[in-house]
Amino acid sequence: MDYIFDGIVQAIGLILSGDPVIFEVVGLSLRVSGTSVLIAVLIGIPLGILIGTREFIGKRVLLRIIYTCMSLPPVILGLFVFLILMRQGPLGAYQLNYTPTAMIIAQTLLVTPIVMGLTYNIVRDRAKDVGRLGKTLGGTGVSNVFLMLREVKGGLVIALVSAFGRAISEVGAVMIVGGNITGKTRVMTTYIAELRSMGDYSQAIAVGIILLLLSLIVNTILYQFQQRDEK
Amino acid sequence: MKLRLNNLKKSYGSRAVLDVERCEIPSGAITGLIGPNGAGKTTLMNIIAGLDAPESGEVLYGLKDGSFSPDLPKKAVTMLFQTPYMLHTTVEKNIAYPLQLRRAEREVIKRRVKNLMDDFDLTPLAKNKAWRLSGGETQKVALARAVALKPELLLLDEPTSNIDNTSVAVIEKTLDYERNKHKMTSVIISHNLAQIRRLCDYVIFMHEGRIIEQGDAKEILSKPADPRTKAFIAGELLL
Repeated sequence: MDYIFDGIVQAIGLILSGDPVIFEVVGLSLRVSGTSVLIAVLIGIPLGILIGTREFIGKRVLLRIIYTCMSLPPVILGLFVFLILMRQGPLGAYQLNYTPTAMIIAQTLLVTPIVMGLTYNIVRDRAKDVGRLGKTLGGTGVSNVFLMLREVKGGLVIALVSAFGRAISEVGAVMIVGGNITGKTRVMTTYIAELRSMGDYSQAIAVGIILLLLSLIVNTILYQFQQRDEK
Repeated sequence: MKLRLNNLKKSYGSRAVLDVERCEIPSGAITGLIGPNGAGKTTLMNIIAGLDAPESGEVLYGLKDGSFSPDLPKKAVTMLFQTPYMLHTTVEKNIAYPLQLRRAEREVIKRRVKNLMDDFDLTPLAKNKAWRLSGGETQKVALARAVALKPELLLLDEPTSNIDNTSVAVIEKTLDYERNKHKMTSVIISHNLAQIRRLCDYVIFMHEGRIIEQGDAKEILSKPADPRTKAFIAGELLL
């Protein structure tokens, strides 16, 4: 049990001492996950709104694919991205494997279906009412899209939280495409896995606690934003 | 705003739900659209509002210069539903929304919203969450939001079916006032014949997608020519 207590003490020590290794790992984790979520939001929200407000041939098949991708195992996705980016792969010329860019690509592919699927579900429930209101008040296509965004923003925050949670806690995909290279592609989750394999449980717990704290801080900020919207 | 409906047809699959050869809805009056369930009243109203498209035929909207246009004058037409959608914000912001959409000046919006809230007895609820109001309050906010635009044509689909009498009175008073003061044209679907009698100048009776009878409200309601209209007004079940 001592190592758990030691881990907590070490975590506090690491945060307070400004340990450069930890800050580098935390910084890269936030950069990779943050960028992935940002790209996923830019792609997933407009597409989710489009699917939620329009009827078209193949919509049910598309939704089934999206829902399947929402629970895609990160290891499989990581392997797929690795094969695409490897030297002999279709995008091998760009030599992206074992770089943060490859990690961002993998995480973006992982969280975009989550953002898209959740946005679709939120929009679908209100599409008819909001669309009808916008039209009968003389709104244009653009103003009606903004009205829809305004009406579902609380739900979009939940999509954002879910996507960020999935990205920051993910280990399989980033391990495969990033390789956990010290000072280059090492993020918190892959660092924890490495520390565990080295038997450094206290340090692993310390990084785990920092990861949890980060998730807590981000979720609290977004939750507050959503609560303020509901008030 | 005068309306002309020409050869409007609509069906869902093989079932024809609307077949209106010709109809004129007078300007500056309140027209009651009556008939049993499934008569095609809501379908017709949705087509007039531009929410649904007919398979054939056209709706012509009367313009101020006396001519008619097949294009929906979006800014002059609005609609009130049986269960209106409230924006997830306060009562006053709901009423202000259509004016913001028209890019009205801040002072104009403020003044207009204040006047409307006073007229509809909504001032004490100004800062309340609009989506948590009672049915009657919701309908009053929706009507205030609709008339904020000073529409030429207001379409109302059973606006008073599930609300308290006080709210019904406010809504009827508003329609009456807007007709007399601003010559606003209203078309109301209602199953409440007493309300149709109180409010309407003109009545259209529909059955099985067709217009059976139309004309002066007093005349139709007291001396209906068609036996189906007579049966409906007498409260018989039209199957």
